[in-house]
Amino acid sequence: MLISIVSYGLALGAVYALIGITYNVMFAASRVFSFTAGTVGMLGGVFGALCIERMGMPVALGFLVTLAAGAVLGIVTEILTVRPVLKSLEQHLYVLSTLAFALMLQQLTAIEWSTEPQPFPRLLPFASGFFDQQFWLPMLACALTIIGLEWLYRRTLVGRAFLAISEDNYAARALGLPEQRLRIASYALAGAIGTLAGFTGGEMMLAYFGNGPLLNFYGFVPVALGGMGSNRGAVAGGLALGLFQQAANFLVGGIFASVAIFVVFIIVLLVRPEGFAGAAPARRV
Amino acid sequence: MPISRRQALVGSAASTAALASGVFRPAIAASEPIRIGYLPALTGPSSSTGIGINRGTELAVKEINDAGGINGRQIELVVRDTQSDPTKAVNAATELTRRHKVHVIWGPLNSGEALAATPLIARDGVPQLHPCWVDQLTDVKKYPLAFRNAPTNQQIGGAANHYVVNIVKAKKVAVISDTTGYGTASLNAYVPMLKTLGAEVVYEGSVESNNPDLKPELLRMQAAGAQAIMPWSVNAGFLSRIINTRAEMNWDIPIVGQTTLGSGQTKALLKKPEYWEKVYPNNFRNCSYNAAGVLPPRTVEFVERIRKANIEMGDTLLWWIALGYDGPRLVADAIKAVGSGPEEIAGYWNKVKAWPGVYGSISWTPELHDGFQNDEIVMCQANSLKEGAFTLAPGYTG
Repeated sequence: MLISIVSYGLALGAVYALIGITYNVMFAASRVFSFTAGTVGMLGGVFGALCIERMGMPVALGFLVTLAAGAVLGIVTEILTVRPVLKSLEQHLYVLSTLAFALMLQQLTAIEWSTEPQPFPRLLPFASGFFDQQFWLPMLACALTIIGLEWLYRRTLVGRAFLAISEDNYAARALGLPEQRLRIASYALAGAIGTLAGFTGGEMMLAYFGNGPLLNFYGFVPVALGGMGSNRGAVAGGLALGLFQQAANFLVGGIFASVAIFVVFIIVLLVRPEGFAGAAPARRV
Repeated sequence: MPISRRQALVGSAASTAALASGVFRPAIAASEPIRIGYLPALTGPSSSTGIGINRGTELAVKEINDAGGINGRQIELVVRDTQSDPTKAVNAATELTRRHKVHVIWGPLNSGEALAATPLIARDGVPQLHPCWVDQLTDVKKYPLAFRNAPTNQQIGGAANHYVVNIVKAKKVAVISDTTGYGTASLNAYVPMLKTLGAEVVYEGSVESNNPDLKPELLRMQAAGAQAIMPWSVNAGFLSRIINTRAEMNWDIPIVGQTTLGSGQTKALLKKPEYWEKVYPNNFRNCSYNAAGVLPPRTVEFVERIRKANIEMGDTLLWWIALGYDGPRLVADAIKAVGSGPEEIAGYWNKVKAWPGVYGSISWTPELHDGFQNDEIVMCQANSLKEGAFTLAPGYTG
């Protein structure tokens, strides 16, 4: 039982964490919570199955095409749903625009792909076993993503520019930083991370259009738990969520497991609204 | 003899009056085609069923028309593709009853669309024949002209319960569903039926259909001593996870339930083909091979006709084609016997007894419009699909 809780819990947690990071990367560049994050994750599984299973591409090529498709989707999200509402950010119009786009993508997937879950290919030619690739691949992807983002944000000029616009985009623009191009790059990066989550979690979750709303929701929980904008917090929150969810599946089971998760989620938010890694907002005086 | 202008005018007026009074109407009605309004889902997510049923329906109509029609009247199938969308089914049903004035409606062919369209068809007073399983779709008071030539969900669950308790002889049963309306309604309906049959339901639970790990649930079933698993879901992902997990736990108990257990989508999601052993979905006796690999004589003859008509069977199910074939024939038999009036058709169907369909024998009464017989619903071996038909599950005779 413990092995199953840890293996499935950490693997699912890693997928949730990657979707949480997708939310954060989009948020950092635009102060917009784009509800396309889970949909892009779902499409990672669908694109992967499409390229490798149906079109017969080699795994490496299918992987690259999937990430590229995710990046393009990220850019389209920015152009169609974020840029038009940035001027009226306080009215939260982005909730409508991003959610509508996510629903459109989901329905399009149902029509063009399938309403039934489709098989996702074995990615590596290893025999399945005790600690299978379906578990360690999402964990590896999550670890590499967080290391890569830390390196990008702290060691490169482009990464520091990302941080600058997320801190204060007016000041960043005044310093001559190309805010719009950086925002587009952020959304492309977020799209690629989202599809990475769906691709590496594909063996576990299958290529299924119904995964979109699930990832949207469970991917948002680590962001709220870990603190908005904190990638490290999202990873910690995602892994904790995965482990808790799997433990609840074993201990209470059925639909009560979902209830248990949301009870804990609400309690955490009541006790610490800014999340575990988030800073309490400073009060203007 | 020359005809004067006055005589011509008087003659024309008399002809017009005769036409208006309906003197010639029977002659026109006697030769006009029988319009069957037909509502299949030929596109969209539920279309695989509709495409299969459509092959049988078109074959039946062609055979009837080639043989001279119904009392000399040809059948005109007025087809509207519902696109698997209840809204479109409603619009199409209204168009068929009001604009095309069809004599009978055959369909819709799936429950979601039938739930939306049946009240409207009943309101317009058109006889309706449909093959949908949702129990509420026949009601002699609300829909006195609606008849079903397929089993109800109650009958489907009852057949599976009968197999588990009386044939497999399982005393302890685990019943699991997904959290959809269909899943939870099936669970709530079938668990009391199982208990009435004398089984002990040792596990009963609903789980989200896209939960990737169902091992906790199966471990609970195993710990409770379950001797059979009955999953109720139409989600191939959910069902395949149950089958895969059972195999990976080396747990050798039967899985008995809904027809999707035997679908190609479920097969595609199995980690190994041998995991499909001891999985028994619902099926229908007339469209199943017996242990010797032989179909019933009536069905053998039907399959021959399908082959002669060059109808593809490999990519669909035999019972879908058979069901589609029975629909227009039930309509034709009624109109041949009593004419095309709605009350006459319904009156004829109300007295149908053991009508020999290829899909199943049909008996209706004025009190019950569910015509399929319980003993014709069986379980089959999921991994035995051959030319659209399955082999009966172990334990059945015949």
